[in-house]
Amino acid sequence: MTKAPVTTGDAVRGKARRARPARLLSRTSKITMWGGLALALVVYLLFGIGPMIGNVIISFTDYTQLAWATTHVVGFANYASMFTSQSTAFYQSIVTTVVFTLAVTLGQSALGLLLAHKLVGDSKWAAVGRLLVFVPIALGVTIVGLVWIMIFDPAQGPATSFFGLFGVHSAFLGADGWALGIVIFVQIWQNAGFSTLVFIGGLRAIDPSLYEAGAMDGIGTWRRLRKITFPLLAPSVTANVMLALVGAFTTYNLIYVLTGGGSSYGTQTLGMLAFNDAFGVNAETNLGYGAAVTVALFVMTLVVATPVLIYLRGRERRLLR
Amino acid sequence: MIRRPRLVSGVAVGILIALLFLAPVLYAVMLSFESPTHFLNSPMTLGKPVLSNFGKAWSQADLGPELLRTILYAVVAGLASTALGLLIAFPIARRLVRGSAALYTFLFIGVFLPLSIIPLYAEARSMDLYNNTIGYIILHIEPGMPLAVMLLVASVSTLPAEFDEVAWMEGASYLSYLWRVVVPMVRPALLIAFLYALLGVWNDIIGPVALLSSSSLYPVTEGVFTFYGSNSSEWTLLAAAVVIVSLPVVALFIACQRQLNRASLAGSVKG
Repeated sequence: MTKAPVTTGDAVRGKARRARPARLLSRTSKITMWGGLALALVVYLLFGIGPMIGNVIISFTDYTQLAWATTHVVGFANYASMFTSQSTAFYQSIVTTVVFTLAVTLGQSALGLLLAHKLVGDSKWAAVGRLLVFVPIALGVTIVGLVWIMIFDPAQGPATSFFGLFGVHSAFLGADGWALGIVIFVQIWQNAGFSTLVFIGGLRAIDPSLYEAGAMDGIGTWRRLRKITFPLLAPSVTANVMLALVGAFTTYNLIYVLTGGGSSYGTQTLGMLAFNDAFGVNAETNLGYGAAVTVALFVMTLVVATPVLIYLRGRERRLLR
Repeated sequence: MIRRPRLVSGVAVGILIALLFLAPVLYAVMLSFESPTHFLNSPMTLGKPVLSNFGKAWSQADLGPELLRTILYAVVAGLASTALGLLIAFPIARRLVRGSAALYTFLFIGVFLPLSIIPLYAEARSMDLYNNTIGYIILHIEPGMPLAVMLLVASVSTLPAEFDEVAWMEGASYLSYLWRVVVPMVRPALLIAFLYALLGVWNDIIGPVALLSSSSLYPVTEGVFTFYGSNSSEWTLLAAAVVIVSLPVVALFIACQRQLNRASLAGSVKG
């Protein structure tokens, strides 16, 4: 680390360029700072970035993990076969992912906003509501999945009795038309509490004097919501949409618990397909293909999430101006 | 005074929450108190409540030890993840290192990383992290780090930098400054980061299968799964296991939720 207080090309933007506080740190403190940073980055590189690079490498081979099989470099063959031989599964899972991600992102954000709007207060009922909405997150995917499997059990479950009232009978999680809808519903159910929490934080950060000013100007509930609350919630909307989007894109564990991977019931998202090819039902044949799907998933997440993030950040700047 | 439409919509949301969030949980609790025969004959009604499911579930699977093990994995990995997140976030937020912005972007990419189980498995084997407690914890530290860094950079940035300067001029060491001054002030962000990392361990369903081989190391989610068969006569046991496992986790969240609410309230009172 150089002693120069400010270096050009450095990312010090916006703020006044004053001496870096780092020079105030003692020598030993600087060493601990660098040591801590290095340790944390090593963990991140070894177990985050490293495995992803490993995936990229494996995706160019026909690696199988069978002891007697030799591994060959196959170039882009695994990527090519995504679009050719195994195309039905791949295309189908892209469609499933798009439907799943859109529905979950919109549903989770909308439900979170509605619940946060009602549960932001200090009353006892609001506190109870916040707790109830948060319980599914604490329960975790395994418990949540098992509870909804019991509810949607075709023989004994309450959903069977409920839909039976309308003369609707189905195998639910074992039925083509139903499974994806149920999986979307349960994913929203499980994560709505997180969105609620983020929105409540956002609502509480709004300066109450703005509402008072609005009340003095005599604006109604709807206008207040549209002109004050919603614009000022923009950062919370960004956080929520991004977390729901990335979560929905890469998820596989809840789907795995609910439908067992579900290629036959239309619940095989890209995340699930990557899991199935690397570890689940299709694993033995070619791990290189599974790795290629994982790389494709990563690229697609970035390709979809980056413009959404840029748009939402721009929206924040527009609304908070 | 509460205006009428407000009350009506409040009650409507109350009913929505009760139906949507309370009913499914209550159903699982009800099942856990039902005798298997009654459940098979009339699944939708509560018969004479029995306690036998809990005893059976407890003894048939190793729920007790598994629960303790899971808490160990999740809490230690969550703490490590949060602490390492702060060690990255503070220098970035204060621009103590060159290329802070690039480093931030580099960490941000981590939010999008999908699970790479095959390389991770290979790494675990070669680094002797496969099938042992410490290894399992170490392998679960990274997933929580990117979000921890995002949250903590945002939170540290709101603290005035004058604090650092005063403390350091008076000779406070880096770590004790972080621990005594920064940690108390960014507690809400730390708590969210910790809970997020903890949930990552709790929700991991492939880790136990891919990174552990002896069942004596399995977390409790594996134990609960043993009750999930095609035979629905076992479901009262499954429900009992679900209730047993959920109680401590829900208790932890109730305890933390108080903190979270207080924290976010305190955070909103700024001039």
